[in-house]
Amino acid sequence: MSAPVAVAGVGTSHFGRQPERDLVGLAYDAVSEAFADAGVENVDAVWVGTVFAPAGVAQRVLRAMGITGVPILTVENACASGTTAFVEAHEAVRTGRYGRVLALGLEQMSTAFSGAIVPETTDPEGRAGLAMPAMYAMSAARYLYTGAATLEQLAAVSVKNHAHAVHNPRAQYSGEYTVDEVLASRMIADPLTLLQCCPTSDGAAAAVLTAASGGSGEVVVRGAALRSGAPWNHRSPHVWGHDIVADTARDALSAAGLDAATDVDVVEVHDAFTIGEIVTTEALGLVPPGDGGKAAAGGVTALGGAHPVNPSGGLLSRGHPLGATGLAQIAEITWQLRGQCGARQVGGARLGLVETMGGGVSVLDGNSCVVTVLEAR
Amino acid sequence: MTSPTGSDPRPEIRRTAQGDWVVAGRRCRACAEPVAYAWPRCPACGAEVEPADFGPLGTVWSSTVVRIAVPGHTPPYALAYVDLEDGPRVLAHVAGDEPAPIGGGARLTGVSDAGDLQVEVTR
Ligand SMILES: [Zn+2]
Repeated sequence: MSAPVAVAGVGTSHFGRQPERDLVGLAYDAVSEAFADAGVENVDAVWVGTVFAPAGVAQRVLRAMGITGVPILTVENACASGTTAFVEAHEAVRTGRYGRVLALGLEQMSTAFSGAIVPETTDPEGRAGLAMPAMYAMSAARYLYTGAATLEQLAAVSVKNHAHAVHNPRAQYSGEYTVDEVLASRMIADPLTLLQCCPTSDGAAAAVLTAASGGSGEVVVRGAALRSGAPWNHRSPHVWGHDIVADTARDALSAAGLDAATDVDVVEVHDAFTIGEIVTTEALGLVPPGDGGKAAAGGVTALGGAHPVNPSGGLLSRGHPLGATGLAQIAEITWQLRGQCGARQVGGARLGLVETMGGGVSVLDGNSCVVTVLEAR
Repeated sequence: MTSPTGSDPRPEIRRTAQGDWVVAGRRCRACAEPVAYAWPRCPACGAEVEPADFGPLGTVWSSTVVRIAVPGHTPPYALAYVDLEDGPRVLAHVAGDEPAPIGGGARLTGVSDAGDLQVEVTR
């Protein structure tokens, strides 16, 4: 067995609507912080995750900070692009292909879209007007129909994650909302209201990976897995996106030598919409099937609960610059495992899990999903 | 508003001699997977497919009303995933701006002005 791979340093920009900033500046904020955190000044290769950035963006932002002449690879896997860059960087270090690798995620949404992401018109369901909130709304409506969740439980996810974000100075939004306020916010796609949808965000996040040094407290990658979706259709027993998360989580937990997600202390999941967190906590096996809504409303997945989910505030509150999100999740779990999270710290966290899933291609159960287990040694 | 370019990726729909609207799709020769699209191979198993018609009746799996601006569509508009009888799950626009009752019936009624598959609620 090869030596474990360490997350030697992480960094992020501020997250939010920042149309006045450019990707060079946002990326520099993330990379310079990650380099300083790792105590390094260069890397042997870079993987960059982004969805909507223009061609050549990786080389364009990296040359501005003197990272030139090394292999640079750009990957796109919808909302999982950042964590796709991370798992590829991890694999490159694990197999000895490169010694020290930078994974960078970036996205500037505010200058690309006036509102929600415009559905892709070369995709059949995108062409038919299935915006992402509507895709998730279909799952939420189905959960309400089968009795697997209530409107109040959906809203509870938003209340929880906005409250968590109060303690995250880099989050786009935070605040003390009530369930009633969440449900009374503007309807986007029935039954999902505005406060149940992630905002339009700009940001970047980065991680430096190296072979582990064996130092005490070092954060290492204990297991990682990536999948793309199989067909999702009338034969699927679950709502869209459930099975790809369940399958990828099983792969990652197996790679980490863990029996269940309940063995980890802190989790960051892809909560682009409230229903997403409910489905994901069930798919991960963090809560029993059908208990995702109950867990959110009952505090099980809140800070101080048995299985804290999204202490950063999640995508709903930190913001969701697509390509940057996965690495922002990695940064949060790394900080949690080092005990650096202040008022949003999960006490004594030693094992953490990151889940990111992205979709948009019709017929598939998600374009891709990445699950990673990190551990403090 | 953006004007989509290239060929239309949406399901092809046609009217039978009996006057029913059906999706002209494909069925896998190996695993029987129904597909609403004229793709060259089965997305589930990669085997060869043959032409197959689906519809006009189906069951609503879920439904929503989109209330935000989406290029090419005017909000609010209702969408449903409809499981066509012995056929694929298709995304369709629902006449009116109310969600279709989940678990209820739906019937293909052709395409909307925007060229989208359209259904009406049947029961
Ligand atoms: Zn097949």
